[in-house]
Amino acid sequence: MISTQFPWLTVLTLLPLVAALPIPLLPDKTGKTVRSYALSVGLIEFALLVYAFWQHYDLSNSGYQMAESYAWIPQIGLNWSVAVDGLSMPLVLLAGFVTTLAIFASWKVAHKPRLFYFLMLVMYSAQIGVFVAQDILLFFLMWELELVPVYLLIATWGGQRRLYAATKFILYTAAASIFILVAGLAMAFYGDTVTFDMHALALKDYSLAFEVTMYAAFLIAFAVKLPIFPLHTWLPDAHSEAPAPVSMILAGVLLKLAGYGLIRINMEMLANAHAYFAPVLAVLGAVGVVYASLTAFAQTNLKRRLAYSSIAHMGFVLIGIAAFTDIGLSGAVLQMVSHGLIAASLFFLSGVAYERTHTLAMDEMGGMGKSMPTLFALFTAGSMASLALPGMSGFVGEIAVFLGFASSDVYSTAFKVVIVLLAAVGVILSPIYLLSMLRTVFYGKENPELVAQFTLTDVKPREAFIALCLLVPIIGIGVYPKLATQTYDVKTVEVAAQVRQVLPLLAQQPLLLPQPSLVAPVLGAETQELARIGQQFNP
Amino acid sequence: MDFANLAAQLNAGTILPEGIVLITLIIVLVGDLIVGRSSSRWTPYVTIAGLLAAIVALYFQWNAMEPVAFLGAFNSDALSIVFRGIIALSAAVTTLITVRYVEQSGTPLAEFLVILLTATLGGMFLSGADELVMVFVSLETLSISSYLLTGYMKRDPRSNEAALKYLLIGAASSAIFLYGVSLLYGLSGGETRLSTIAANIVSSAGEPSLGAVIALVFVIAGIAFKIAAVPFHQWTPDVYEGSPTPVVAFLSVGSKAAGFALAIRLLVNAFPMISEQWHFVLTALAILSMVLGNVVALAQTSMKRMLAYSSIAQAGFVMIGLVIGTEAGYASMVFYLLVYLFMNLGGFACVILFSLRTGTDEISEYSGLYQKDPLLTLCLSICLLSLGGIPPLAGFFGKIYLFWAGWQAGAYGLVLVGLLTSVVSIYYYIRVVKMMVVKEPEEMSEAVKNYPEIRWNLPGMRPLQVGLVICLVATSLAGILSNPLFTLANSSVARTPMLQSSLVAAKRVVTAPHPANLAQQPVDVPQL
Repeated sequence: MISTQFPWLTVLTLLPLVAALPIPLLPDKTGKTVRSYALSVGLIEFALLVYAFWQHYDLSNSGYQMAESYAWIPQIGLNWSVAVDGLSMPLVLLAGFVTTLAIFASWKVAHKPRLFYFLMLVMYSAQIGVFVAQDILLFFLMWELELVPVYLLIATWGGQRRLYAATKFILYTAAASIFILVAGLAMAFYGDTVTFDMHALALKDYSLAFEVTMYAAFLIAFAVKLPIFPLHTWLPDAHSEAPAPVSMILAGVLLKLAGYGLIRINMEMLANAHAYFAPVLAVLGAVGVVYASLTAFAQTNLKRRLAYSSIAHMGFVLIGIAAFTDIGLSGAVLQMVSHGLIAASLFFLSGVAYERTHTLAMDEMGGMGKSMPTLFALFTAGSMASLALPGMSGFVGEIAVFLGFASSDVYSTAFKVVIVLLAAVGVILSPIYLLSMLRTVFYGKENPELVAQFTLTDVKPREAFIALCLLVPIIGIGVYPKLATQTYDVKTVEVAAQVRQVLPLLAQQPLLLPQPSLVAPVLGAETQELARIGQQFNP
Repeated sequence: MDFANLAAQLNAGTILPEGIVLITLIIVLVGDLIVGRSSSRWTPYVTIAGLLAAIVALYFQWNAMEPVAFLGAFNSDALSIVFRGIIALSAAVTTLITVRYVEQSGTPLAEFLVILLTATLGGMFLSGADELVMVFVSLETLSISSYLLTGYMKRDPRSNEAALKYLLIGAASSAIFLYGVSLLYGLSGGETRLSTIAANIVSSAGEPSLGAVIALVFVIAGIAFKIAAVPFHQWTPDVYEGSPTPVVAFLSVGSKAAGFALAIRLLVNAFPMISEQWHFVLTALAILSMVLGNVVALAQTSMKRMLAYSSIAQAGFVMIGLVIGTEAGYASMVFYLLVYLFMNLGGFACVILFSLRTGTDEISEYSGLYQKDPLLTLCLSICLLSLGGIPPLAGFFGKIYLFWAGWQAGAYGLVLVGLLTSVVSIYYYIRVVKMMVVKEPEEMSEAVKNYPEIRWNLPGMRPLQVGLVICLVATSLAGILSNPLFTLANSSVARTPMLQSSLVAAKRVVTAPHPANLAQQPVDVPQL
């Protein structure tokens, strides 16, 4: 499948990486050339991404497009094969958008600027690489490639406890990512043929026990990254210690790598096991929503509160993935895109506040609202989007997840009620912690020391521009969701149909596994109903 | 037997590369005698030229029709060519990074080079040795020159201590090895060629005799000492810490590669009848090496000691390839050793450069180096991250191939241990990177605060710089452009008759009943 046209995806994946290489050699005394260079690379890359998708991407096609495949190391079957489909295309655009803005947001980095921008560009490549990789070894390679840049970015430019946070990050993620390699190797060597190609792996006929094991392994790897309760503990540390531009990327893009992995690998390639694990995902998602929301309320550090709100929002993604309906899955993807934009804007604005106050403790920040009305306005807009105000993208994503899960005919009514209720509690909790955050930070008891010590100037045009860049698509998607959904709709419908097709087959089979109690709702009274539906689907 | 026939049987052309090394050695030795100390201006370059010429000669042997030479004492098959190339290359890079170090310590350079070349010669002969006497003589050539090298800094008590420790433990392990070899000789009824030993032991008894097992254990003890596998590793940290750093660089790559070449040849050739047993022993050694090497490295404060434990752990990874004994397994060993050569020598080159400029090897003294010497920081970071297996560096591909081969062969446990311990290893490698890059200017160590101005024009600094850059480039690119190296590693295994026949034999064993069942019913088997 080597395309004769211009190898867009290869070029787009490698451009930032290659562009990063000459950075150490750039003549630059003050750090200003490097930042302009990095920003222009980011802008060119994003412009090329938009151009390439505009020209060559067909929205009505649910399959892989712009595919390229070159043998890299044929001895072990590693291919450089890249392609995009409805699932990866919006996320690639999100990665390009957020990372470019993050580079612009780091305009003020004066400390070791060369290294900073070098690492940012490497990370740029790695993110796009994960989304476009169609070879599981390549996927693992790209996944690992982003570890060390993030580690160094947190450890060098982070806050007080940055070394602790960075070490925790790398140990959690490195340990989890070996599961990807092990499961990838196991799947590649399963059966007669050895292949790392993801389509070929999806077509292999695995035994159910094997598939469930693989699913569990991938789930652990992605659960750390997403993160899913109870493997989330690295995230509040990493996000709160990282410098604002890195937090933007961490929350805006890196968490989506895991969500993408869950849909691409766990759902698409291991559809049989997904039927068994989906209830577990739903429960973990609901628990994560409530737990993280409650914990967020207890945080006194601004970025820690935002970090826990990220965990809560990722819970909705899980529920959407578990829904077995196209609208639920579509909601999950929309929630990822919208959270990418919202979290990036909130972390960026908290970085703006930190630059002026040099503290993240909310009770010490009090009273900023008087001297910084524009920041307050932007922050409020971001928080409103995050708490799912209608008209903002957060609302559309969450409502789609709710609809999708509630309309799912797979689960028993009792199960659905419990999950939806728990998630709804999370939705109610989010205004509580976000609005109380706004009140304490901007209109809380004025901190005289802060007002006396620092000049609290309002946002500068550059900062306002970045925030607006993020807010415009948030509102755009909120008002007209089709802007985002049309990019992936055909794909999510297909994936949802694929996992639903598996259900009646499983219902007919005797169970091969000891059934955990959580699984009960799947194969309860509805199974016969499902079998009937399945027959309607495949006459 | 007429003369032509004898010449054909000797087939002396196969040791042309060794001959070139030997001539280089003599040129350096005699030249130094005649010219005196001023010879140090050209001897390193002669040494490097000689070693590169040897590598070129090896390249031309790749297609040689008849690899067996000296009536079977030396086998120049593809595998030995690759290993001899690795050893010669590691000696060449070691020479590059040695010059300034020896220059600054005020000891004569030519003698160092002569001993280094002797060790190289021993290692190269060892890689092709196919007969017990040959094995032992070349092993001792390598060992004795290594003892001399470790004690080369005569006035440094630590170097002397290291040499003494190395000599005592090394001599003991040589003796044990020799005893194992003598048992083999006796058991096989006076055979010394490795391939005939196996046939003769098998024919003397239906199942492995106790003597063969004892011989195996003794032989493995000797080999494990050379490759520094746990629990025969105790000498490594002390010797690495005390010896001159260029010597450590050679020991950790060249000497280790020779040990692996010996391991493959001896175990595969001479012990096919008890392959269950030696696989079991090596599995244990591999797991112990990976776990202990990586875990103990966490606690080290001296850079050289940390690299010592890291090299123990790396040997454990390479042993995965040996244990699984498939074609991909051997090829992945060769590939890993090839990339390990560059990343480890690169790491040591950086350590040498740092200690030349500051006079210390403590990890904590590296803090804040990024501000003073970005190039050194870059090289050391790249080499250490590569050792830790971070993509897209060469070490990542090396490890992936080892684990790939391990998984293919069904050695799931070994691969899992390898993966888990490489996560541990990332922690201690990245700790050094963190020291250098992350620390603020005010947290700079004393050594870095007093860092001398960077000058590359001192005598001997250029070769060090060249060595550093070669290793840096190779470590960064050997992974991404690894196709030729993969091809080299794979074809070296595919073209080695000894390994191919062992693979065929292994396939037969799989279809035969499990040996454990055979052992339970020893009497019935012949009747069946």
